[in-house]
Amino acid sequence: MTREVQSVILFLVGGALLRISAGDVFMRYVKESMRPWLLISGALLVLAGVFVLIDVVRAARRGDVPDDDPAVVDVDEHAAEGGHDHGHHGPRSAWLLVLPVAAIFLIAPPALGAFTAGREASSVAQPADADVPPLPPGNPVTVMLADYAARAVWDDGRTLKGRTVEMTGFVTPNPKGGWWLTRLQLACCAADAIPTKIHPVGGPESLPANTWVKVVGEWVPGGGTQSDTAIPWVKVDSLAKVEEPRNPYE
Amino acid sequence: MSSTDTSSSTKSGGWRFGPLEALTVGLIALLIGQRWISGLFESPALQAGATIFVSIVVQAMPFLVLGVVLSAAIAAFVPTSFWTRALPKRESLAVPVAGVAGVVLPGCECASVPVAGSLMSRGVAPAAALAFLLSAPAINPVVLVSTWVAFPGNPMMAVARFVASLITSVIMGWLWMRFGRTEWLRIPSRDHLAGRSSWETFRLTATHDFLHAGGFLVIGGLTAAVLNVAVPPSVIDSLAGHALFSVLVLALLAVVLCICSEADAFVAASLSQFSLTARLAFLVVGPMVDIKLVALQAGFFGRRFASRFAPATFVVAVIVSIVVGWWLL
Repeated sequence: MTREVQSVILFLVGGALLRISAGDVFMRYVKESMRPWLLISGALLVLAGVFVLIDVVRAARRGDVPDDDPAVVDVDEHAAEGGHDHGHHGPRSAWLLVLPVAAIFLIAPPALGAFTAGREASSVAQPADADVPPLPPGNPVTVMLADYAARAVWDDGRTLKGRTVEMTGFVTPNPKGGWWLTRLQLACCAADAIPTKIHPVGGPESLPANTWVKVVGEWVPGGGTQSDTAIPWVKVDSLAKVEEPRNPYE
Repeated sequence: MSSTDTSSSTKSGGWRFGPLEALTVGLIALLIGQRWISGLFESPALQAGATIFVSIVVQAMPFLVLGVVLSAAIAAFVPTSFWTRALPKRESLAVPVAGVAGVVLPGCECASVPVAGSLMSRGVAPAAALAFLLSAPAINPVVLVSTWVAFPGNPMMAVARFVASLITSVIMGWLWMRFGRTEWLRIPSRDHLAGRSSWETFRLTATHDFLHAGGFLVIGGLTAAVLNVAVPPSVIDSLAGHALFSVLVLALLAVVLCICSEADAFVAASLSQFSLTARLAFLVVGPMVDIKLVALQAGFFGRRFASRFAPATFVVAVIVSIVVGWWLL
């Protein structure tokens, strides 16, 4: 790999990181809190690309052959280890970095949705606090699906009684008919997404997969099973189709 | 993106179709074929796979950058004599000291591979550097706190994870000391940088390590994405019932999923159909052996190293997890 190509690849990877973290696109892949780190690492990679380019230009002015990367003369050229030999110095594996860049710019993979949620059992984490605090005042009150499910399943719905809740999620078709109101939770990146599913009662019979909806409804008594794969119910008072939220995960 | 296309591969005046031209043509072809390419990814499974691939790479990038910057700083600014003073002379003592030192690197596994490589090339005994490589992503405070938060009902989980990970990394260090052969391990060489300024050493090492490791990260991310989509979770769930078998299943799942060590506790917590010991194995194996990590190790230390070290680590980690799980959980 020549030094020019190295600089182009550094620009591409750094540029892709900056591009997705400048807007909201990065939230399809990682947590919102990663943004500063993505911006910093993207900027550092672009900067590294600039330095490599300066080297190339300087070498060209001096009339040197710029093909040799001084940092890698003997690191990669182990015939036994290196595999195919193209006769160029430099980390050949770096070519592969074009793949994620191409995926980001060309395919622009969407946030995970019904496909992932449909494959995995719903997961309701036990609240860390044994004494679950009451919901904020006001009706309807906006709650996260994971919060609603934890209150319903682990706390017998004590804090949900008599309240109207508003939840936003996407539609995952239930293979046994009907659908689940669903949201995926990220701990770190989309590879660890865990779904929360809620069974709506009294809403439309079926909706297309991955439709985002805002549901206003009430807790349905029962379902305090204290098991972390339980799917609690919600009685639907009203339902509206909405745009995908800025952050598609919880 | 083509602003750098400065036809500089004109050697002795003649035009030559070099790698830069190949890259440019390739990128143009990708741009023209965008519609067709994105059309290929319309099935939900392929889309989910692409999302997971991009997520793993994007998530790892900042940590990889941190890792190569740290390792380049070690290569450029920390004199070799520092390590001979900081670590005990006797290798068998240096291993546990280096293992415990893993507490100070608050990153996940992508950061620790380049740092361990740099330690070796600065004269730290390979066994000690390997103990550090294994322990750092598993026992640092960020990881332990997230484990503690993820298991509200079982505070011993974080303790068991710390103990089992440290024991595994020290055992692996000692095993390498006793049985490892120098010719298996390709220590990243920096000899050719002798005589350059510290700044230049830093810059060249960081750039090279990033490009090199980045490619292997991509291989790992691709493999993990394919397996993630291809192996239905219901298959895994059906294996939860058997006591010893389930430990092996979750250990293998950790290898396949390639979840960052700072997040894996939340996933382990959600695998509630499995025993606590099985989930401990998931947490101990994951940061030490997973596909993306093995790919990175192969890139830094050579395939002959990775093909021996990774399976051995897997076996030791599973055995230690079973023992520690039986003792503490």
